[in-house]
Amino acid sequence: MNDMILTLSKATKLYAGVPAIEDVDFELARGEIHALVGENGAGKSTLTKVMAGVVALTSGTMTVNGADVAPKTPLEARNLGIGMVFQENSLVPTMTVAQNLFLGQEKFYNRTRGIYIAAQQFLQSLNFDVTPTMTVGALGAAKKQMVEIARAVLHQAKVIIFDEPTATLTPEEKKYFFDLVRDLKSRGVSIVFISHALEEALYLADRITILRDGKRVVTDDASKFDRARIVQAMVGRDLSNTLYGARKTMVRPMGPRVLTVKNLKMAPMVKNNSLSVFGGQITGVFGLVGSGRTETFKVVAGVLKRDFFHGGEIVLHEKPVRYLVPAPAVRDGIAYVTEDRKIEGFFETSSIARNIYLGLLAKFPRGRMLLSKREANKVGKSWIEQLKVRAIGDDAKVVELSGGNQQKVVIAKSLVQEPELIIFDEPTRGVDVGAIVEIHDLINRLADEGKAVVVISSYLPEIMALSDRILVSRAGKVVEEFSALEATEEKIMYAAIH
Amino acid sequence: MIGAVREFVDRVLGRGEATIAVPSFDGALKPDQRLEEASVVLESATAEDMATDGQSLFLADGQRILRLDGSAATAVKTFDKPITALACLPGGGFAVALAGREVRVYAQIGDAEPRVLFADSGMRAVNALAPTPDGALIATDGSSNLDVGDWARDLLERGRSGRVLRLDLKTRETRVLASKLRYAFGASAPGDSILVSESWRHRVISIAPDGATHAVLDHLPVYPSRLSPASAGGYWLTAFAARTQLVEFVLREPAYRRRMMAEIDPALWIAPRLRSGQSFMEPMQGAHLKTMGVVKPWAPPRSYGLVIRLSAEGLPLYSLHSRVDGIHHGVVSAIELAGDLYVLAKGPGRVLKLPIAGIEKGVGA
Repeated sequence: MNDMILTLSKATKLYAGVPAIEDVDFELARGEIHALVGENGAGKSTLTKVMAGVVALTSGTMTVNGADVAPKTPLEARNLGIGMVFQENSLVPTMTVAQNLFLGQEKFYNRTRGIYIAAQQFLQSLNFDVTPTMTVGALGAAKKQMVEIARAVLHQAKVIIFDEPTATLTPEEKKYFFDLVRDLKSRGVSIVFISHALEEALYLADRITILRDGKRVVTDDASKFDRARIVQAMVGRDLSNTLYGARKTMVRPMGPRVLTVKNLKMAPMVKNNSLSVFGGQITGVFGLVGSGRTETFKVVAGVLKRDFFHGGEIVLHEKPVRYLVPAPAVRDGIAYVTEDRKIEGFFETSSIARNIYLGLLAKFPRGRMLLSKREANKVGKSWIEQLKVRAIGDDAKVVELSGGNQQKVVIAKSLVQEPELIIFDEPTRGVDVGAIVEIHDLINRLADEGKAVVVISSYLPEIMALSDRILVSRAGKVVEEFSALEATEEKIMYAAIH
Repeated sequence: MIGAVREFVDRVLGRGEATIAVPSFDGALKPDQRLEEASVVLESATAEDMATDGQSLFLADGQRILRLDGSAATAVKTFDKPITALACLPGGGFAVALAGREVRVYAQIGDAEPRVLFADSGMRAVNALAPTPDGALIATDGSSNLDVGDWARDLLERGRSGRVLRLDLKTRETRVLASKLRYAFGASAPGDSILVSESWRHRVISIAPDGATHAVLDHLPVYPSRLSPASAGGYWLTAFAARTQLVEFVLREPAYRRRMMAEIDPALWIAPRLRSGQSFMEPMQGAHLKTMGVVKPWAPPRSYGLVIRLSAEGLPLYSLHSRVDGIHHGVVSAIELAGDLYVLAKGPGRVLKLPIAGIEKGVGA
């Protein structure tokens, strides 16, 4: 097995006695692109965290280049030539791009200008359009992802693990990423990547390993898989008809106009944007990263502020509103489910119930003088059951949940506020297919109940599967509207680019 | 005092009333070219309003009333003043508003003398008439200060002297149902409540029998005009022009407007028009309107054509458009008759006809 750079044998990791992975055998060949797929909670992240030294195995063995190893820290793993690009980015938001790239590799005399120049050259070599002097906190999700990838490449790892690397990338950026991965492969670097976009796994990977409930189901050459076989293996049932199923043959009728955005401005992202959202319908908003769609709805929800001078007008239920913070928007019935759940979505070290209860507290005009643990548990339990949040124990912290279940907590935190207008920003980003179906069902149910639902997504099949009407955003404003009956992926993409 | 300070702050920051913002044509108002593609039944430069008795279509054309049979028009009555509004009454007979200042009700089309005359209640710009189920007549008086033809001046002077009048044909009394409206233009009275278009506030309001008003449809991107009932329930609402940011901007500059009205030919004012493209001196031209010499359909419209189908609750269901690159602009009346929708585009002076079944099939209604 000399051509195997990394192996795991009978790998088991227990959390509070409950196995996250159990007796998993895994082999990574030299210069191989190996996709790991599975539902959220299947154990993909745990398996890769073991490889990257983030968590230690409870039992089982790991070898790198034939030698037994047990990295206990990411630094130890890095020294073994293993780097990881995390799903939820691990950058320091207050530092610049260049500082993040060279974090941990600083010289004794660290010349700022020098690292900016080096970072600029390096980013250019990767075709990444990121300014090295920008603070990471000011970057969008896609650009943060680029910095993460660049950092792993910079460390000259022999094994690079990508956890959902393309979730926030535009089609163009994805192409660059795929080219980059192939380039790494040609240089002998082995790649492990986790992706919920099954087409990517089929397209990019040499081999695919499928995990379910912490166990390996199958490992085989990518050419021997198709989408249906992967889904079947992942969930043990056939979801291909329910997930991004057939074209819509009818759309929900338009209810009363709930939201009117008129000539909204928030430099430099939102430029004179106008749109309406109606009750009883799902309004899908598609646009490439940087098209201003997220920022527009963040202004609506009071997360961001519009321009001070001539910032346009937002009308909610025929009443002009101007929110400086989210709390009054919540009280007026607007819920914004963030695209960046780790930073904006929850308190990761608090329990699920406590996070959901915090959402409820925002609904009260003056908060609560006394907090009731019993009420928090009751509310939390109710929503955990409704949204089928899978957790190890009732008091599980959100950080211990898989991506899909974390997303359900974020959604529950908003729905507990009983909003009339719910804005889902990338609702299924980093979420497995099983959870995607559940989240889609929930979104459809909300629209059926008469709520005004907005779904912002970069993933066209999701927009097409969910939306009754589709707004396409480009360069800071909505440029086109389609009925779901007339929309095609080509038409939407054309409007988003041209 | 506080109001004045707030107004000043709003003007500086561009907020509140001083927001230069126009809603988009989206949802049920998503633009198409159906109105532009409609067949032309009749052309007349002086056409003003339409009405139907369920059998025939009548057209107020200058001082005459024409009956339309196919594309042929026959004059059935002539007056000494221009007609500004026309309505057929449910039990037979019809009503006309003449020069905006008087309303005459005739029992028969051939009668020489009116059965009832309303002329002494300060009417100035009566622009629409609608019968009520209890036999009265609703009249919308656009402005108490300016004539019907001076509607653009009323907008630029930010007029708020519009009224809704109830004309009782039995007692011959006139009652003011609502006043201080910003150009009342069009009404429909299907029951106790009356729907009225308030053009300069871009909305349709409902007036209850006790005079209480509330907005049924607000924040329209157009200036709404006459309403008529739809046979399947609900209404047809017309709009004679679309709002633009340029006009909204001019509307918050009083000194500029005063000077413009004093010195510039009214045809060239920065104001909505019923038709455009007539002169190279028009305010919006060049790159506003054209790319490579071709008029952009999505350009800011100086004139526009729009009919909106409303549900019984006043919600827009779908709409028919003639966009910037079209000519069927200045729509002031839409009447349903025998499965067809007749639309009066006053800009080019055309009566258009669209089969309703075809429209609904096209929009997937």
